Amino acid sequence: MSIQAELMRVVELFQLPFMQRAVLGGVLTGLMGGMLGSFTILRQLSFFSDALGHSALLGISIGLLLGINPSVVLIPSAVVFALGVAYLLERTRLWTDALLNIIYSSSLAIAVIILSFVGQYKGGINNLLFGDILAVRELDLIVSGLLLVCCTLFIGLTLRTQMLLTLNEPLAIARGVSVSAHRTAFVVLLSLVVAVSIKAIGVLMISAFIVIPACASRLLSRVFSQYIILSAVLGGISAVVGMTLSALFNLPSGPSIVVTQLSVFLVAMLIPRAR
Amino acid sequence: MGATVLAVEQLTVYREAYVAVQNVSFSLEEGTDTAIVGPNGAGKSTLVQAILGILPRKAGNIALLGQPLSRTGFLSPHLRQQIAYLPQNFLFDRRIPMTVAELVGLGWNQLGIQVPWAGYRKRQHAVQAALERVEADHLKHQLISGLSGGETKRVLLAYCLVFPRRLLILDEAPAGLDMHGESEFYRLLYHLKQEQGWTILQISHDLDMVRRHCDRVLCLNRTLLCQGIPEVTLSPDNLSAAYGSEFVRYRHTH
Repeated sequence: MSIQAELMRVVELFQLPFMQRAVLGGVLTGLMGGMLGSFTILRQLSFFSDALGHSALLGISIGLLLGINPSVVLIPSAVVFALGVAYLLERTRLWTDALLNIIYSSSLAIAVIILSFVGQYKGGINNLLFGDILAVRELDLIVSGLLLVCCTLFIGLTLRTQMLLTLNEPLAIARGVSVSAHRTAFVVLLSLVVAVSIKAIGVLMISAFIVIPACASRLLSRVFSQYIILSAVLGGISAVVGMTLSALFNLPSGPSIVVTQLSVFLVAMLIPRAR
Repeated sequence: MGATVLAVEQLTVYREAYVAVQNVSFSLEEGTDTAIVGPNGAGKSTLVQAILGILPRKAGNIALLGQPLSRTGFLSPHLRQQIAYLPQNFLFDRRIPMTVAELVGLGWNQLGIQVPWAGYRKRQHAVQAALERVEADHLKHQLISGLSGGETKRVLLAYCLVFPRRLLILDEAPAGLDMHGESEFYRLLYHLKQEQGWTILQISHDLDMVRRHCDRVLCLNRTLLCQGIPEVTLSPDNLSAAYGSEFVRYRHTH
């Protein structure tokens, strides 16, 4: 097939509603992941998004066991789990990565055991692990869009507080900032982004959306506010490019986006700037 | 006599299970410079952190700029904005992408809900002026990760200076600087104090500096052992009570 015919095929593909929804879903997830990811990596909570992803799997499996729609269970279970993890991190004297490792491996183990009891869902575990961006519905887009607005308002309206908190907590407390209130708000927002994105991206790859664009942006930025914006933009662009590559070469969509994010990161590493 | 900027009454603070500060009372008047001295582990940092609401208190009352600090550490934002704090070690992740101008600018805004571009021009002017005052305007666009110890202290002074403050709380602010850097820091600090009329509460191990510059001294070793003017408070007897007799013998022979 000629290149022209191939491009025509991709253009036609992008005219299909399910593909448009998938691209829009990817862009929304990329923007949200990049924006929150910029703070997540600086606060060394990268593993937190991974643990949240796995905990969502546990939430879904409990929902299936109780006969409740996984989509209904997903968001509240992720938020409850995030609050629980944040509480444990604050109260125990263990290292963050060690504690998160305990949480994420045990939630995965419990989720798999529960899923083994749920006969009709055995075949669907792949969807949970890797997601299906092509199955994104209009309602999912509306929820993602609203969440993006919430993330933008939260980060935008409290930007200086977030910056000071990220830089030095005692300095922020001395200025009257409630660390626990801001930490809780951030963790809840992050858990919502993870929960909403799991259907499209899957448990295993959701943390890439949080971590990789932010790391690439860090390599390219000297100024904090630019760093956040660039991180979100790189997340969004990676989704568009990844979806296009996926359509061109008939590749799985989610992994194509992650590989695009990786390519952006590698290019950023080659550019000598703010490293 | 000036207005009371800080009033501490019967303050007791626990660190985990032990009493770090017990029954401490004192007050600061506007425009004065008060030093807290005492040996390591005397509760000096605990005391200032409790005053700022960074650490919770077990008992006692604290009033900052005429308003009580609540048990949860709440103080109205416009009063918080008039207080600046420099911690003992300004530790931050050096991978954070932040310029000097951005850090100093964080001292200008009253923290709360606001659009990020609020007061952009005024902030830029204030940052420029503050950096010029501490002779660090050439660092404006530099990343904070690249600053030396002395430059970091200067930039932090600019962070204090960028908005008119009434109370400065310094926890061994020149820690980590060499002798030249330390004297340079104090030269700048006292020049700015004269200019800005700051009230200063500082923790210090440099008793000579305290004698030279401070109006009052609080001698602390979990409890407040004595307080008053440096000439009287830093007498060998009082120092012996705070630091032990070995310390006084060492000071006399060196």
